[in-house]
Amino acid sequence: MSDPSSSPVTAPPSRQAQSGARFAVELCDVVKRYPGGVVALDHIDLAIAEHEFVAVTGPSGCGKSTLLHLVAALDHPTSGTVRVNGQDLTTMRDLSSFRRHEVGLVFQLHNLLPRLSVLANIEVVMYGTHRSSRARRERALELLSEVELSGLEYRLPTQLSGGERQRVAIARALANEPRLLLADEPTGNLDPDAAQRIMDLFEKVNADGMTVLLVTHDEKLATRADRIVKMKAGRLAG
Amino acid sequence: MPYPLFALTNLLAKKGRSLGLAAAVAFAVMIVVTLAVTSSGLEQSATAIISIAKANFAVAQKGVSDLLSSTIDASERARIAKVPGVARAVGVLVATEKINAENPVFIEIGINPSDLGPFGVTILAGHAFAADATNQCMLGWRAAANLGLHVGSKFAADGTVNTVTGIYSTGNSFGDSAAMFPLTAEQAYNRLPGIVTLVFVKVAHGYSVSAVERAIDYRLPELTTIRTASQFGRADRTLVYLKAAVTGSTILAVLIGAIIVGNTMLLSVFERTRELGLLRAVGWTRRRIVGLILTESLVLAVVGAGIGVGLSFAVSAILENVPALVGILHAHFTQGAFWRALLTALGMTIIGGLYPATRAALLAPLKALSYE
Ligand SMILES: Nc1ncnc2c1ncn2[C@@H]1O[C@H](COP(=O)(O)OP(=O)(O)O)[C@@H](O)[C@H]1O
Ligand SMILES: [Mg+2]
Repeated sequence: MSDPSSSPVTAPPSRQAQSGARFAVELCDVVKRYPGGVVALDHIDLAIAEHEFVAVTGPSGCGKSTLLHLVAALDHPTSGTVRVNGQDLTTMRDLSSFRRHEVGLVFQLHNLLPRLSVLANIEVVMYGTHRSSRARRERALELLSEVELSGLEYRLPTQLSGGERQRVAIARALANEPRLLLADEPTGNLDPDAAQRIMDLFEKVNADGMTVLLVTHDEKLATRADRIVKMKAGRLAG
Repeated sequence: MPYPLFALTNLLAKKGRSLGLAAAVAFAVMIVVTLAVTSSGLEQSATAIISIAKANFAVAQKGVSDLLSSTIDASERARIAKVPGVARAVGVLVATEKINAENPVFIEIGINPSDLGPFGVTILAGHAFAADATNQCMLGWRAAANLGLHVGSKFAADGTVNTVTGIYSTGNSFGDSAAMFPLTAEQAYNRLPGIVTLVFVKVAHGYSVSAVERAIDYRLPELTTIRTASQFGRADRTLVYLKAAVTGSTILAVLIGAIIVGNTMLLSVFERTRELGLLRAVGWTRRRIVGLILTESLVLAVVGAGIGVGLSFAVSAILENVPALVGILHAHFTQGAFWRALLTALGMTIIGGLYPATRAALLAPLKALSYE
């Protein structure tokens, strides 16, 4: 990993795109105002290059999750444009297909379906893809070994530690070979050792070419990213 | 894990509730199928009167409330016999009488002894009654066995004590469970001189059966020809009403079942809000969510239909033996009854599952994820 830098790229993404650089994520003048009137994102410009590992940090309530949700096509901006892997999400019609194939999602809690085994939890996101039932199973087994959980295939989520659960969630996020991995406080409920292991995993998939966007309020963990983007009250803080 | 198995997992997670739902489906299916098979039993009984005879078709009065109240008088009979192509027209009077508690609707057939052969009656023991006898009768072999009577026994019926002159067979269980009397005696007892219920027509060689039927329908517009059970409605209005009642009850059962299924599925969707939201967040389409809920409904339908048909077998067997219904109600399970069971169950669960499935599909993934 290169030296973490705390200076965000705030130049207009359109100009950067013209300059030939390839971006995984481009937010252009994005505003998100919630129905209650809260402005969670206040004119944000942000670009993340392909293969970059970016950590977004900031105090609770500063808009980190909101930003991640927009990139994950889980919510729409009030104004501005969001482009992911070159596609404009604000005009995209099939958001389900985008979420299934373009991004992998890891949340802080409740990532797994409680009644399904570890293996089935990973397979479940591969329904409706080109993979056959057998291929889904093989892919899930392969991912489990990648996150070093081989042998726990038939455990239920409740029979796993918090760190193991998050590793299953990461395995699932990688199942459909997305180009962008999005994680919202994935280590929020973990002890420091388990948190470091999750960070090891992010570094590994990033080294394999995956773009990683990590949201965390833990500034120390964030230093393991290529670049840190600091937020404060809905704005990027220099 | 194959996709349908995932749906099954959801059902198994709440075993009690799933069983309850399957039971509700089964109950509705049982009602619908029992109504259908017993009414088809009634139809079967009535149609059996027609199929006793070795005839091409029967003629009855048009628009009567039930087949046994059909009346055809002597002149009409004569006109039927004169229609070209009619080789033989056998008139029989069919009546019912309460013999004892086990036989509340015992069938009595008045027929001329000379018509027994053409009618398809084989005498197994003894001999036929005399045409002008007033206290002679023959018993079908099933009736004789059932009543414990044989040739020479006394049989109290038709307002007198009759001597059993013979035991016959028609090759038809309905006919074999009846008794036959001289036509004139039967007409006198029922105060219907010269009247018959049905005329059985045998078509002469070289004539088309349907052409002869059409000719009779045309020449005697107050009568109607009957060949099959489905044509029965033309003569028997009770059966038509009964079928309408069965259809009405079926619709009602499906609607009530759909409400129960819908209610419970809706609860199950709300309970799984976070899970369904998670699935949406990781890329499940709305259509797939609808598919999941409907697959769960489908499993319930198939299980419920199976149990319902089993229950219906049991309930019909019980109903057939209820004293007030013995000899009246016959369950008649057809392939159609099984299709009806499956359709009822499917109708119920699909109609009931549609709204919950739509609600599930419309859950906003983010709201669902933050749902507590
Ligand atoms: N669904 C919502 N409706 C209204 N306000 C919201 C909603 N989600 C978040 N907010 C508000 O938006 C701001 C940013 O929230 P969030 O993005 O969750 O911050 P963070 O993840 O940095 O803690 C907060 O003030 C929060 O209360
Ligand atoms: Mg947050």
